[in-house]
Amino acid sequence: MNTASGAHLEEQFSDPTQQREAATLGMWVFLSTEILFFGVLFAAYVFCRVLYPDGFAVASRRTDMLLGTVETAVLLTSSSLVALAVRSIKLDQRRWAAVLLFATGLLGTSFLVMHGFEYHDEYTEHLVPGLDFDQTGPYARAMELFFCLYYFITGFHSLHVLVGVTLLFVLTARVARGAFGPSHFTTLELTALYWHLVDIVWIFVYPVVYLVGRSG
Amino acid sequence: MSSRAHTHTTPLSHFIWVLVALLTLLALSAGSALIKLGTFNTVINIGISVMKTLLVMTVFMHETEARTLTRLVSALGFIWLTMLLSLALFDVVTRAPVPAPW
Repeated sequence: MNTASGAHLEEQFSDPTQQREAATLGMWVFLSTEILFFGVLFAAYVFCRVLYPDGFAVASRRTDMLLGTVETAVLLTSSSLVALAVRSIKLDQRRWAAVLLFATGLLGTSFLVMHGFEYHDEYTEHLVPGLDFDQTGPYARAMELFFCLYYFITGFHSLHVLVGVTLLFVLTARVARGAFGPSHFTTLELTALYWHLVDIVWIFVYPVVYLVGRSG
Repeated sequence: MSSRAHTHTTPLSHFIWVLVALLTLLALSAGSALIKLGTFNTVINIGISVMKTLLVMTVFMHETEARTLTRLVSALGFIWLTMLLSLALFDVVTRAPVPAPW
């Protein structure tokens, strides 16, 4: 079976399917730790938001909702492109797979650039706790907490996007060189899983950061 | 090629429809956030996020095709997260306010 497919089979596995499933399982164990890593930050957010609901609404209105929405759309689109890239490699369309991976990396890069603009705007509006924060009034403390959590959550998320973008560009080069094919694409599939998880984290960041108190 | 069990591929149209659904849900959450609904703003937005996550996991991450063990492990992170969030919330919402004696 392994000779027919041409995939490299480690000796502890009886066939390539078992090897691939073991890799996917291991990846999910890693992704579970990632869910809990961000989960702790979300738990801190929930705790503080229950304590200071009005302050969090005021602070959330200071974020850039339009940019946040565009960033969400960009990440959702990039997730579908990377899923299509895995599909292409399964169908032996290597050229397409390379193009789709490169496009995913570009969308990830544009996400980082947009987020950089957001950070810059917040800096000029004196909304960076510990560095330049000059808000006053009854909600100042709650706003400071919100922006602390905002920088931790989005900062770590952007770091994950940066890692993902690097992996995507490296894989683009490897796909273009013909390193993957219909029977050996595990690395590509696992990177796609990682990218989807980064997308899922943002799916929850978007409403809790950008959409609080928009109707008030 | 595609007849092999481990190279099963999802039709292209599935991915396109899921992307359209995801972007529609995004528009819905942005739109609903601008309407005054009180607590329901949060409920709707988190509900939409859960729906988006399920779409990404079932179609993009191929969770419906995965082995039972993989599916269980992929659910575990979310189950632990739910426990973490609910226990943290139980603490804050059930804590009786005790006025400071000074």
